[in-house]
Amino acid sequence: MASTLTNVGLSTPAALQARPQLAGAGRVGAVVAFARRARFAAVRASGPSTPPDISDKMSESIDKAKEACAEDNASGECAAAWDEVEELSAAASHARDKLKENSDPLEKYCKENPETDECRTYDN
Amino acid sequence: MAISSLHATTSLHSPCTTNTSFRQNQVIFFTTRSSRRGSTRHGGARTFQVSCSVDKPVVIGLAADSGCGKSTFMRRLTSVFGGAAEPPKGGNPDSNTLISDTTTVICLDDYHSLDRTGRKEKGVTALDPRANDFDLMYEQVKAIKEGKAIEKPIYNHVTGLLDPPELIQPPKIFVIEGLHPMFDERVRDLLDFSIYLDISDEVKFAWKIQRDMAERGHSLESIKASIEARKPDFDAFIDPQKQYADAVIEVLPTQLIPDDNEGKVLRVKLIMKEGVKNFNPVYLFDEGSSITWVPCGRKLTCSYPGIKFAYGPDTYFGNEVSVLEMDGQFDRLDELIYVESHLSNLSTKFYGEVTQQMLKHADFPGSNNGTGLFQTIIGLKIRDLYEQIIAERAGAPTEAAKV
Repeated sequence: MASTLTNVGLSTPAALQARPQLAGAGRVGAVVAFARRARFAAVRASGPSTPPDISDKMSESIDKAKEACAEDNASGECAAAWDEVEELSAAASHARDKLKENSDPLEKYCKENPETDECRTYDN
Repeated sequence: MAISSLHATTSLHSPCTTNTSFRQNQVIFFTTRSSRRGSTRHGGARTFQVSCSVDKPVVIGLAADSGCGKSTFMRRLTSVFGGAAEPPKGGNPDSNTLISDTTTVICLDDYHSLDRTGRKEKGVTALDPRANDFDLMYEQVKAIKEGKAIEKPIYNHVTGLLDPPELIQPPKIFVIEGLHPMFDERVRDLLDFSIYLDISDEVKFAWKIQRDMAERGHSLESIKASIEARKPDFDAFIDPQKQYADAVIEVLPTQLIPDDNEGKVLRVKLIMKEGVKNFNPVYLFDEGSSITWVPCGRKLTCSYPGIKFAYGPDTYFGNEVSVLEMDGQFDRLDELIYVESHLSNLSTKFYGEVTQQMLKHADFPGSNNGTGLFQTIIGLKIRDLYEQIIAERAGAPTEAAKV
């Protein structure tokens, strides 16, 4: 078992996303240090983008939250408004994941029909 | 690919589905059941059908804030049991439920009593208990635990409305994940095992930047404002649940890099409660001792910043616990295998199973650090717990007589 495993690399791009030197193409490389919009816009193109309906709702909710907190940022309304932003951000992220998962038609087909010839994988 | 074929032999298949490719290892516990029931009413394949509806699910709770890795954890957990988890087929496309052969995962947001508009009008967040219907949550989790199907509401995260309910059948393993699985005492008492994902503020901030910065309208300020505005409710209603958890996965910034605040390298602690039925904590070298271990040395070369482990007994909210800690990340596969071979009580079924699971999902976030490692270990522990409970039930005649 171990001998089969040692021949395989752990280094898929996503597994390495936390490594700064390799993360240039990934979403993760640009954490606090490069927080400029332009940079993120370029990075965004590497994965599927959020469906426009959720995206619109989210940016709208951010504007509303800023408004709701303008008067009193300790109010329940302010917290509820930012909570809505969080909920929509999570929904947007899930929607992107779903798009990514379904982006390869063969992968999708094989998930449902793993026994078919075209979905067969071999040990060696 | 040898890996995935090995995997199949350890998976637990649901007896509720008609499966044409039974392998010996998979049928072990059905055989136990059928011999027990076979003498009374049924025989052969039909017994599977019947025992399926009579089985009482093992109930697991997973608590964490939104955007803190619950879905990744759930994908790792269902993978340990074999088979991928999918949304219910032919149902509401916005359903939050995931179903695999053995496991059904429901999202507790479905028990929101106030929809998005309602919360906004009243000025309460989803974290607030007033926005959630704990009576219904309790009733339905209890019904599932008794082996009864439920009509569970669906909270639609896109529209913010409550959609018509979906039918949930009792599975073998029922997972409730969300903000409040351990908040209500009645629900808490129904849990056979509970987990809390405790993400430190620094890491939460870094993760949300990764998730949201690319979104139109978001900025560092908006991400920060959102975390800060939700924090009072988070501290009041979500965070206190960790004292009840059987296992806590704490995610902190690394200590290997001085003043690191980028959240790329993580220090992760697995806090395991002692004395929990059917749960034997993992240990490093010598159970109950305190140990620090740097696996990188003559036998294993690691790249910067290296890997550091710690293990030992501790107390957590007045409970005796064992804590296993990993700081740093795996860069190569042999590092992971080396670490796995030095950990004990992993509840694996064969040598290298932890590594195999991590490798199988190398594309999931955290597969090269302690979050992936400890989530995988907890997945194996839950499988072990499940098998112990099933074995116990099979041996208890009072339970068996109940149809």
